[in-house]
Amino acid sequence: MRRFRSALLGLLFLMLFLVPQVGMAALNDNILEANPAVAVSTLKTAISLPQTKLLGNNQLTNVRWLVHNDAVEGTSKLRLVIDTKDAVRVSSKLDGKTGSQLVIDINGAAVGKVDDSVTLDGKIADKVRFVKKDNNNSQVVVDLSTMIEDSNYKVFTLKSDEINKKTFRVVVDIDKVVPKIEYNFTAGLRNKVIAIDPGHGGSDPGAIGANKLQEKIVTLAVAQRVQALLEKAGAKVLMTRKTDVDVYGPNASAVEELSARTIVANKNKADVFVSLHINAFTNPSVGGIATYYYQKSKYDMLLADCIQDNLIKSGGLQDRGINAAGFYVIKKTQMPSVLAELGFISNPDEEKLLSNPQFQQKMAQGIVQGLDAFFAQAAKKGGGL
Amino acid sequence: MFGKRVVLVSMLLFLAVMLGGCDSATPQSPTVPNIPNEKSQAGVEADKAASPGQDTMTMTVYFATKDAANLIGEKFVVPKNSHPAQTAMELLITGTKDPTLVSVVPTGTKLRNISVKDHIAYVDFNDSLVKNNKGGSASEILLVAAVVNTLTEFHDIQKVQIMVEGKKIDTISGHMDIGEPLSRSEKIIKKK
Repeated sequence: MRRFRSALLGLLFLMLFLVPQVGMAALNDNILEANPAVAVSTLKTAISLPQTKLLGNNQLTNVRWLVHNDAVEGTSKLRLVIDTKDAVRVSSKLDGKTGSQLVIDINGAAVGKVDDSVTLDGKIADKVRFVKKDNNNSQVVVDLSTMIEDSNYKVFTLKSDEINKKTFRVVVDIDKVVPKIEYNFTAGLRNKVIAIDPGHGGSDPGAIGANKLQEKIVTLAVAQRVQALLEKAGAKVLMTRKTDVDVYGPNASAVEELSARTIVANKNKADVFVSLHINAFTNPSVGGIATYYYQKSKYDMLLADCIQDNLIKSGGLQDRGINAAGFYVIKKTQMPSVLAELGFISNPDEEKLLSNPQFQQKMAQGIVQGLDAFFAQAAKKGGGL
Repeated sequence: MFGKRVVLVSMLLFLAVMLGGCDSATPQSPTVPNIPNEKSQAGVEADKAASPGQDTMTMTVYFATKDAANLIGEKFVVPKNSHPAQTAMELLITGTKDPTLVSVVPTGTKLRNISVKDHIAYVDFNDSLVKNNKGGSASEILLVAAVVNTLTEFHDIQKVQIMVEGKKIDTISGHMDIGEPLSRSEKIIKKK
């Protein structure tokens, strides 16, 4: 009895020392290891680690996952990490018939003691199953929640890392894909339905310049000029607000206000959505124009590119380029969307320009020319997805 | 009797091995800041700088570049305490000492509370975070990313929920969608 108790104590001790380490190892790895250093399998043919011996007793030892929501870009992906004792070769493919199953063959390791199946987030992937092949091969089957394409996932391996106490790993990254809508764009602005969203308004002035110019006044002024130009070209324009008002209502929450803007575009099935804003930063010397997109389809980035290009040509301000961002209005609208920042109100020179009707007209022309360029190029892409 | 002694001896032996083994492989205390990302250079340095017996800790806090395009991690060596994540947020609020960088937190902002549950940090500021925000999506992106990236430097924090006056908020200045816990953004960090 006493001997038994001693043994139990020993076991307890073992657990005390080992468990925290296992716990930490699991944590360490969960965080995004962006841009894998070792090997990236883009197309999904076998990748191998050169100069690695594949040992006979190699096994899968642990499985963990998390969903990564990028703070800036707003994109989500599921990361699945499979620990292996030693190096392996992996190859992967989407199930050809449905595209809703990802099959990863691991050469050089047996399934070992990992669970037969692990439930995942249910939005990107439902579960992962481990299929025993033989002592040297195992198969990982990920049941995806939606259809994905080859470009939506990657599988790569990471070497063991003694400093951070990590074993060899197989990493699977699966992007969250937005349900795709069929687009069939034609060239020209005539009969296009274009949603224009003058940022802020009513109780929300947006950013305010040193000389008291308010963002909401400039965005509305430019939007009205865009509307006039587009209507002249035969397009139908949906303005999320036509005057200096809150779109939802004066006492609305921030999200009700933003959502009201996206509803205007979604309900009326706009072809594209353009939100106009003026930027601000604490350093008054910062200036320039930037356009943001949220990659829902291949058209969002194209739209941002066309608009940014023409805003720079038209306005001559510094080009801050196009950037991916998880902004509410471009994320929640269903059509290709952009949010354009037409200069910095916190920069006194640009504040002066932004209050000038000629400059406002130039910005409006830049947006309209950008839209025209977009439809021309989108039509060339053949429409569709 | 003999059996008992064997057990005792083996227990002692076992203990010695375990303790010896642990000296070289002591897991990092979860409260000691460490860079979870293997690609982050600052973290490796911090790891090496930390020697046993020292009662300071090194942490990386993110500030904006002067062109408002990126974040750069600034390292701080501070007295060791039991609440490093709180300390990191206080350093973020106090602002940068580096003349080439720009602080991102609006004036008057105070930390009300920070707690970590299931690897999600709930960081609660007073309403100056929103009220004293000067607007502009550039400022909002940098602020959100600086909070998230500073906190996800810690091993046990994977995501961050930004709160104001005890409540989750959906946006700070009407651009970003921050209603859900956010993960680290690597792309905005300027690589030296």
